[in-house]
Amino acid sequence: MSLEGTGEGSKKMSGLKRGLALFAIGTLIAVPLLAQVAGPDYGEFGIFGMDRRDAVWMAAQLHLLFAAFVLGVPMFAVVIEAIGIFGRQERYDKLAKEFTRLLLVAYSATAIWGAILVFFLSTLYPRFWAYLTAIFAPSMWLYAGMFFLESFTLYLYYYGWDAWKKGVAKKVHWFLGIMLNVWGTIVMFIANGWLTYMMSPPADVTADTAPQTVQLWSAIANATWMPINIHRLLANVVFGGAIVGAYAAYRFLTSESDEERAHYDWMGYTGNFIAIGALIVLPFAGYWLGREIYEFSQQMGITMMGGFMSWLWIIQAFLIGILFLTGNYYLWIGMGRIPGAERFQPYIKWMLLVLVLGVIVWATPNTVIADRDEIAAMGGTHHPFLGVLGVMSAKNTAVNLMILTTFLSFLMYRRANKEPVVSWAKMGTMLQGAAFVVAALVVLFYGIYGYFVSAIIRIGFSVYQVAAVLVTILFVLGIDIAMVRGAKSRGAIRWGQMPDRSQYALLILAVTFTWLMGLMGFARSGIRQHWHVYEVIRDTSEQAFTPALGPAATMISTCVLIFFGLVGMIFWLGGLAEKSVYDDTSAAESGH
Amino acid sequence: MWKANFKILMTVVMTLGVFTVVSNIIPQVRSAVPELIVINADMTPDELAAIGENVYLGVGGCTACHGLGTRAPDLLGVAGTVCTTRDPELTCKEYLYESLVDPLAMIVEGFQPIMLDQSRTLGQPELWTLVAYLESQGGEITVTADDISGALAAAEAAEAVTVTEAAPMNPGDIDPLNLIAVNGCLACHAMDGEGGEVGPPLGDLIGQDLAFIREGIVNPNASIAEGFEAFAGTMPPIFGDMMSPVELDVLIEFLATGTVGAVSGEEESNEDGN
Amino acid sequence: MKRLLKQPFWQGAIVVAIAYVVFKYLIGYALPIIGVSSAPVPSSVILQYMLTVFVGVLLYMSAEEGRWGTFQKPIKEAMVSRDQKNLRGVLMVVIPIMVGWLAYQNVKPSFAAPATLRSIHPAPPNEITFRGLPIQLTGLENPLHENGSLEEHLQVGKAIYVKNCVPCHGDLLDGAGHFAQVFNPIPADFTNSGTLPMLTESFVFWRIAKGGPGLPQEGTPWDSAMPAWENILDENEIWSVILFLYDQTGFSPRTWHEEGEEGGEEH
Repeated sequence: MSLEGTGEGSKKMSGLKRGLALFAIGTLIAVPLLAQVAGPDYGEFGIFGMDRRDAVWMAAQLHLLFAAFVLGVPMFAVVIEAIGIFGRQERYDKLAKEFTRLLLVAYSATAIWGAILVFFLSTLYPRFWAYLTAIFAPSMWLYAGMFFLESFTLYLYYYGWDAWKKGVAKKVHWFLGIMLNVWGTIVMFIANGWLTYMMSPPADVTADTAPQTVQLWSAIANATWMPINIHRLLANVVFGGAIVGAYAAYRFLTSESDEERAHYDWMGYTGNFIAIGALIVLPFAGYWLGREIYEFSQQMGITMMGGFMSWLWIIQAFLIGILFLTGNYYLWIGMGRIPGAERFQPYIKWMLLVLVLGVIVWATPNTVIADRDEIAAMGGTHHPFLGVLGVMSAKNTAVNLMILTTFLSFLMYRRANKEPVVSWAKMGTMLQGAAFVVAALVVLFYGIYGYFVSAIIRIGFSVYQVAAVLVTILFVLGIDIAMVRGAKSRGAIRWGQMPDRSQYALLILAVTFTWLMGLMGFARSGIRQHWHVYEVIRDTSEQAFTPALGPAATMISTCVLIFFGLVGMIFWLGGLAEKSVYDDTSAAESGH
Repeated sequence: MWKANFKILMTVVMTLGVFTVVSNIIPQVRSAVPELIVINADMTPDELAAIGENVYLGVGGCTACHGLGTRAPDLLGVAGTVCTTRDPELTCKEYLYESLVDPLAMIVEGFQPIMLDQSRTLGQPELWTLVAYLESQGGEITVTADDISGALAAAEAAEAVTVTEAAPMNPGDIDPLNLIAVNGCLACHAMDGEGGEVGPPLGDLIGQDLAFIREGIVNPNASIAEGFEAFAGTMPPIFGDMMSPVELDVLIEFLATGTVGAVSGEEESNEDGN
Repeated sequence: MKRLLKQPFWQGAIVVAIAYVVFKYLIGYALPIIGVSSAPVPSSVILQYMLTVFVGVLLYMSAEEGRWGTFQKPIKEAMVSRDQKNLRGVLMVVIPIMVGWLAYQNVKPSFAAPATLRSIHPAPPNEITFRGLPIQLTGLENPLHENGSLEEHLQVGKAIYVKNCVPCHGDLLDGAGHFAQVFNPIPADFTNSGTLPMLTESFVFWRIAKGGPGLPQEGTPWDSAMPAWENILDENEIWSVILFLYDQTGFSPRTWHEEGEEGGEEH
């Protein structure tokens, strides 16, 4: 008792000393700050029926989309260039260059929207902007510096493409591409520090903390910074691939020659492949982020998952259902241009059945929209039978089976025109089949078993389910790579012989990805509710409320439409600047 | 070419349209900002009364009893007039304030002493806005911002000496003698030769079972001490609610042992857990 | 008939029809007959499921060039073929009538309250004021685990439950007390694995202490008839009744450690 007392006392003392020190520093710096923040807290805005938050929202969303463009597409370009260098296939190199050309325009769009965002923030939210700059000023300078470095590297990368084409120079050129990505990633990490600080400020920052006394590093490296970094990095790969797919679809649909179509068909396939591949790992980064949010604040976590945003996740499930269905659909149509794919046709309806059931289960709301009679008929808050599908066990099972099915589609696509010649081919195929069955059984087993254990154990099950799926994917892919080595071809892929439907599917994929980014961004910043900085700085403007899903969706759609309008212009300019760089050899290759 | 461009545009617009429509047809839930009520010196009486009305109808929970006709007097429309008639020594607002913080001081005829001290759930500003609102019911609002700041200062000063106002959670800080004084135990019970003879002397409780003493306070009429049958039902069953659980524990401990500060370690950890 | 079954268009139509029967009648009405607990599916959910099935059918039909062609054939024929004149005439009458009927269904006056979204487990605040004292909910554990005898606490909790809770939540803790059926929503069924095991004890404490009036604004309207018990029960009494609830139902509360990802849709 007495010991405890002393301990507490000394703690108080040191706290008091620290407080005094802080106060001293605070008064020293507060004087210039006060001069800076004098004036109204919020500026006025009222153009096109938008209020100040709409203005900042739109500028931030568009800035982010273009920033994702200029980060995602270089990632794509540098990977494709590497395939070109190390696989000695020149068409990949040309593809990479074609994209880098698009980047030049996209870069200025990013910068313009960034400038608009800063302008809006500093004029419409002057007090909050002063607060942020007081904490983050050094990192803002670094941000600008990095941005400069990044654009300079981009110019070197693009304009040096043809000059440094051979030998070591080519490797150096590729290294420039990597550096371009490094700068871009650092820029994103810095900006993530600002926005995650608004969500999850360090615990020692309170409403009374003077912004000058907040340690820069502790503000940046807050609880949700790293999860957001990883999540956005992966999402950018997906986004880059999807944008490439959309570009290819656009050029495919507007091209006039078969050679061009063949080239853009192949490009669309490659972009889509990268997008879907990265999408499969994205949910795990999302889980991590969600977990950190829960750890940071239970209230925030429940607001996000169970509170007024719960229907947002049904919309998200609906969107991801579209992604899965459309992605598979694209592969299935693509099989029409591969000789030998006919033998897989009978399986498609069963895979589709799994996907449709998966979407149904995944999008089953736990919070059902029902009128009073229906609620009374259900006997309360959730449906006695379908409620079983509304919980995480069912949803995890559904999504894991959907991932497995998508992988199976891809495997069939890959195998369609190949006939393995290795002696153990039959055995290998059976092993692959067995692996699929085992993975599906593991997923189902833990899905059902999850209903009989407590929540804390059930969370652990999702890890087993995911692990089973990932291990199976790697295992099956490993066998497949070994098996098709030197395989006999049933005929080349007839690139370009795709119905237009498939290209519209690619466009829908890109639009859906983009919209999903906007929606998740709304979820992330919406859970702060009426705070500029969560539980530190209160939003006292008239727009402090968090909008309902409908108005948010309308805003997101507007932003995505503007974005695609501008991107369409960039694509058009890309076609204008240079004749496309298709080549005939692509038709002879199988593509991977 | 233009046909293809148009179809592409339509695809994008239709996809976005579907997302937008679906999101808009589901019932819309907007997360409202919790209202931050600031009570300051420049508020007009009407503004205070308007806040008080929200307290009356909302967090105050007053309508649970008042206005139903059976449990507590109806206040709406009359509180502002009757307030001056109850106690000649008090002004309207003093009386209304007293009836909130010391509700048992004056019980309107025909009603039971069931109301609790409202300062336990409401802060001083809320209490005074409530008084303003009640005054507005048939009378003139005389509450000013000074009442609120004065009450706040008084409550702060009182917090330092008495226990019931602030109910500190640390049992070591609670003085059982003070509890006995504040709750008026000595009006009926004797201790150290002081106090009334309506109930058994508190000294008799030394050595008794803790649960027995607790029941005697919380539910006094469950068992009646020998020799006091005539007074059965006199002790009101409100003291359990008048004290916080911690205070109650401290008081019971004191009554059972007869010494101050004999708080066991077990209870200590109990309160830390809270 | 056999010819029809071979035609993708009719195959698709049959799949859609079967799906409708399953969602509307099988789940809603047939399952309860064989003893599986179920209830009519709300129309919003049926709409959502049917759209998914419909899109699935379309995707399947158009995933292969040949099938897509045969699938479209009956539609094209009905629209342009000379021998389908009568059918066309019928469709031109039936389709507008159907559209009109749908429009009428949507705009006709009705006494039903509009459909609502109910968030079953709303977000708890980080801190509540319990009888004027602040209580930090986040990370809060039931203090009674740490002190006193569990047996006694359970006895206390049981008495409190019987005295205060039984009329609504029922003597079997299944939310079917005598008063239960007059409430909408009906009282929580504690024997349902969707309630107690999903919640931390602090969440349950908050719900008991603050009741229906203390529910947050989001996920309104709240028609909950649950009283705020903080005025009647003290802190330890609430904690005891929580102990009793978990003990009696055999569930264990969600703990503070290792939680996170599952969160919402779980509820």
